Order: sequence, then structure tokens, then C-alpha cells
Amino acid sequence: MMKKLARVISPLLIAFLVLGSLPAVASVPATQANDLVSTQDALSASQVASDRERINELLAREDVQQQLLLQGVQPADVKARVAALSDEEVSQMANQLDEMPAGASVVGALFAVFVILLVTDILGLTNVYPFVR
Amino acid sequence: MFIPSYVDRMTRPFQWHLPNARTAGVLLCVLSLLLLAGCASTPRISSPERLGIPQQASIADVPFFGQRDYQCGPAALAMVLNDSGVEIDVDALIPQLFLPNRQGSVQPEMLATVRRQGRVPFVLDNDIESLLETLAADQPVVVMQNLSLPIAPLWHYAVATGYDLDQEMIRLHTGFKPNQDMALSTFNATWARSDRWAMVALPPGEIPPGISAQAALSAISNAERVQGAVELQPSWEALVERWPGLAMGWFGLGNARYASDDRAGAANAFRFATLHDPELAAAWLNLGLTLHGLGEEQEARTALEQAAALPGKWQETAETKLAALFPKEAP
Repeated sequence: MMKKLARVISPLLIAFLVLGSLPAVASVPATQANDLVSTQDALSASQVASDRERINELLAREDVQQQLLLQGVQPADVKARVAALSDEEVSQMANQLDEMPAGASVVGALFAVFVILLVTDILGLTNVYPFVR
Repeated sequence: MFIPSYVDRMTRPFQWHLPNARTAGVLLCVLSLLLLAGCASTPRISSPERLGIPQQASIADVPFFGQRDYQCGPAALAMVLNDSGVEIDVDALIPQLFLPNRQGSVQPEMLATVRRQGRVPFVLDNDIESLLETLAADQPVVVMQNLSLPIAPLWHYAVATGYDLDQEMIRLHTGFKPNQDMALSTFNATWARSDRWAMVALPPGEIPPGISAQAALSAISNAERVQGAVELQPSWEALVERWPGLAMGWFGLGNARYASDDRAGAANAFRFATLHDPELAAAWLNLGLTLHGLGEEQEARTALEQAAALPGKWQETAETKLAALFPKEAP
């Protein structure tokens, strides 16, 4: 009996939850008060069909938020950080955050690498050690 | 040195090869060293006279913030932001772009953080001329370098504040030291590893010299998305002043003027957009809607008809608008 009930209720529940979250999703791209085409929409118009693009874009933003959390960013900061990214930057980060260079300026100190870098520093190819001029 | 006779060489090719192999090895070493050194050579700058830049430039009083630990990204941003009039320190910037587990900051978030501070980030064209031109225009530039080799990368953000072509030097606020002179050759080798990534953060209304029209357009549009069209109106004005033939520039200006309630000005800008690119359906559509709001029905109708006649993304919207605003009388 309970199983039967659950089988009926759970798809309904899923459907309602999904529908409930849709308006919030749909309202994210800020449309102007009037019906004018926004500059951002016009610039992206030359690419793919708009609706599919917009959904992918929203998913990518979700994805980047998750990735930032995994990178140790405070949950309170994540949303505002992703909101300031452009669409193109979002898809870059969604696809390749792990390979992206992160400016940090500390080198992993391996001895062999130390020697190679010392030589290349002297040649002027690198600038790792401040004592090499 | 032993020189075998010519006949000997011809008849005993194997033995003849041995002493030469050593020479070849040494040659190879010397060559590869030369090649390596060649990579670090001073970049060729297509005549400074033609670029219209002086032999030396130095931007005075660019604020310096020493980095702590891994915070070269936030420190570099604090320097250019303060230089452009935003008062903010490194600590306030860290939660906006630092990735704790990577112990560093990535380029897209450098740009995003600038937008959040009310400044427009422009990524310069990836060449030394653009960098020098921008420095000569008194705009400090954030550069990304790999100070090490690709096998053990040491990614680093620094702020370029000047250069000296006679001395072949570039001047950087970097790490713990302000105004460090670095050989242009070394700088070029380390900078090339980031594909010569360079960025400026400017107040709305300013556009750096070393940038293409398309790059400037998307930089302004991306900033507008975060800061709003009213804030960015001076940037759109500057964009069309620099590239008067850029239809999308006029289009963006039209939207910005509309957002700040300058309807007549908006209509003019949309008109220019359609003039420079008669295929730009979105501009015809916006022109029609703006003119309709101004009560100029005749011209509004013509514009909407133009929009509805152009195939593409906006055709359907244009047809709907046309039918709603100018219903056809029953025959």
C-alpha cells in the first residue's frame, strides 16, 4: 500500500519541485523593463539558438559554483563571484578550471628542477630565483 | 688533428663516422643552447616611431601592495584598482578571487573582480606593442608570467609600470618589490608562456590603446552585464568615438541611452547602427520600438518592417511586435 502510494507521489513530487525551481531559473537573465533587445543578447545572437544556449549557460554557472566550493571558496562568496563572470568565462571555467594557470608564485621545490631553473635563470629564460641577476 | 685520406674515408665508411659523431654531438649541444638563448632574445618591436610611443615611459605613483604567501593576484589587482581610483586593499579582494585549494587566482576571476569594483577590465591584444602602447598611455598593466618552465610552472601576476627601450628593460611592481627593472628579453620569455596575457582595469569611459574593436566591445558588454547600462554609458560613447563604423558599438550606446531615459538619443544611436550595418535586425527592432515610444509612428513602422524582413533570431519577435503595434486593417 505504502509502496503504491510512494510510486504515485514521488513522480508528482519531482515534477512539482522541478516546476517550482523553473521560474527562478528563467528569471536569471536580466531583461530590460521594456522589450528592447539587450546588447548581450544581440552579441550572442550570432551563435546558436538562444533557448538551448541559455539553459546550457545556466547549468554551466551552477557547475562553476560547485567547482568553486570544491576549491575551498566560502559558500557566502560563491554566488557573487560566478555572477561577475561573462558567459564565455563561465564556460571556460566549467570545462577547464583544473588546467587553468593559477597565479600563485611559489614553485614546487624539486632538486633536479632547482638546478635546471638555476641554469635557465642565468640564461635569462626564467626568473625564479631573485639572487640570479 | 688527424686527417684521414680521402680514399680511406670512401673505403671505410664506418670508422670514418666515429670521430665525426663527437663533433656532431658538440655542435648539437651548442646549437640547442643557442636556440634556447634565442628564445630569450629581446622581442622585436616594430618601430616605436610608427607606434607613436616614446623610447621610455614610466608611470609615476602606481600604488604598491606587497604580496603575502600566494596572493600575487589580489595584490596585482589592488595596485591597478587603486591607481584607477578605487580604494580597496588586498584583504578585501582575497575572498573575491582567491582559490584556497589551488593557492592561486585564475584569469577569468581577475576580470570578474575588476567588474565587481565598478571598473572595466580589458584584456589587451597578445603582443609586446600593445603592452608598451598602453604603458605609454599611463595605464598600468597586469601581466601574467610563468617565471619557471612549463615542466614546473610558477604562475605569477605582476603589474607593469614602465619601460625603457634604450636599456631594453621593463619596470614591474612584482612580488615584494616595487619598480623592479627586468630585462625585456627575460620578461618576454616568461610572459610568452601565458600567451602574453595582459589586462588593464579602467574607469567607464576609458579604452586602452592596445586593443581591437571586437575585444573592446565584448569587454564593455561583459562589464555592463554586471554593472548595468547606465554605469557603462561613457564607455559606449568612447567606443563609438574611437570606432565610428562599429555598428554593435552604436547598438550598445542606444541601449545605454535608453536605460538612462534618453529616448531621442537612443533612437539616434540605433539609427547609426542600422546605417553601418543594415543587416543588424536587432538594431532595426530596437529602433522601431524606441520610435514607437516617441510617437514617431511612420518611421517606427518602417524600422519594424525592416527587422521583420531579415531572417534570423529576431525575425519572429519583430513580426509579433509589428502585428501588435500596427494591426493590419481588415481588407
